[in-house]
Amino acid sequence: MTVGQMELVCPAGAPATLRAAITARADAVYCGFQGETNARNFPGLNFSPAELADGVRFARDHGKKVLVAINTFAPAGRVDQWRKAADEAAACGADAIIAADLAVLDHVANNHKGLRLHLSVQAAAATPEAIGFYAEAFGVRRVVLPRVLSIQEIATLNRSINVETEAFVFGELCVMIEGRCFLSSYAAEKSPNLNGVCSPPEAVSYDQEAGSTAARLSGFTIDRYAPDQPTGYPTLCKGRFSAGGTTSYPVSLNAGGLIAGLKAAGVTALKIEGRQRGKGYVTEGVRTFRKAVDAIEAGGDAPEIDRILARMSEGGRRTTGAYKKTWR
Amino acid sequence: MVERTKAGELPAFIRVLFPTVAALPFGLLLTRSVRVLAARQPRLFERLAEHRSACFFVDPTDLAFAFTVVPDGERSLVRIVGKAETSTASVVIRGPLLMLLGLLDGTLDGDALFFHRVISVSGRTEAVVALRNAIEDAELRPADLLGLHGAVARFADAGILGGLSAARRLAASSDGDQAARMQ
Repeated sequence: MTVGQMELVCPAGAPATLRAAITARADAVYCGFQGETNARNFPGLNFSPAELADGVRFARDHGKKVLVAINTFAPAGRVDQWRKAADEAAACGADAIIAADLAVLDHVANNHKGLRLHLSVQAAAATPEAIGFYAEAFGVRRVVLPRVLSIQEIATLNRSINVETEAFVFGELCVMIEGRCFLSSYAAEKSPNLNGVCSPPEAVSYDQEAGSTAARLSGFTIDRYAPDQPTGYPTLCKGRFSAGGTTSYPVSLNAGGLIAGLKAAGVTALKIEGRQRGKGYVTEGVRTFRKAVDAIEAGGDAPEIDRILARMSEGGRRTTGAYKKTWR
Repeated sequence: MVERTKAGELPAFIRVLFPTVAALPFGLLLTRSVRVLAARQPRLFERLAEHRSACFFVDPTDLAFAFTVVPDGERSLVRIVGKAETSTASVVIRGPLLMLLGLLDGTLDGDALFFHRVISVSGRTEAVVALRNAIEDAELRPADLLGLHGAVARFADAGILGGLSAARRLAASSDGDQAARMQ
């Protein structure tokens, strides 16, 4: 699909973060309601309907968009809560709803016909056939790509579909297939897919032990840090594990050096992960990527994003993830 | 012998200017300030939900004393306590004073400070997450904590934030000098 100027889509975990992202010149922010309908259901985070309405007004006053994530899967018998969230987002004037659950997609497609639908990364749609289905059945206009594709694969995919694509460029990196990961459910009895929380904080502990800090989830040791070593939030797919003589470390995605490649591959929007992160992270991340996107759109070179944002990365290590994958 | 400071901590000559535990009724003053804040910004405390009854032990590592805070809206309680009085705390947060103040006004990113070990956290992680998210959204200014309004508030914010910024530069400069001496 042909694209024009790339859109910078940024996280907003709360109203103050939404304002910070827009002030830092994000093109759009994405956010969610308090509760299990979105995939960042953490204590103290997210929006009430009234806060979302205020946020939409603020964004609109600045010529920006608000995308509302209702992107978890409704458990049987509770779909009404997810439909209600979609209705509230529409009533607040949201520019799009980001969803994965077929019932939510169907509800929006049939009851809010003017409202854009974006397919959440939780749907893990990475083939022309899957994306084509969602486009045809529900009128999905954009798909958020799972973080398992190389730039070349994205370019090939974009030539085969008629919807926009949005690619993550910074933040946490889920190495599992989104929407189909059961690790957190197994360890902490809460599901990122249903409850909206991977590694719920009530199951997380940082235990001071002799000469180190152990990060644990429900008693499972995920990582261990020396006193001055950068630490991270203990999610099961981002621990430090040894197998076959190789040790893997938790890393964060930073594809800041690949913006030109993603543009050439036909990507419409670049997404910064991190609705659970604060204003400092959002402001610095948005400003840095804004400069980079503007420079590339003007035909120049991007600044050294990796160096500028090094301190923002969880675990202190960065990767370009599957965009430059060499293992297949 | 020159006293060493850790990264981000107040230089020693500033630290001695701060009072020790019994010198001033800081606890009463801070309790009043937080309760006034709760009356003016109830939403901040609503974000804490059930965690407003948690006891947060806040230890500025460059001061001689620590605080316990129970952020229960207009029933909030702040006490000045000794460094070892953590037994009743739900959460222990430790870090240099300027860094902790930077979290309050949103100048600094709490996750980045935590990931890079500038501050440390132990105890009930969900209460820490709730507190951090509530404070992030509150966009607190020094005047909010002091219960000030209008022009006085603007004057206080400008003065205190300017002072904090200068103190951070001084602390950073002191870190650099110390690193140079250690080479």
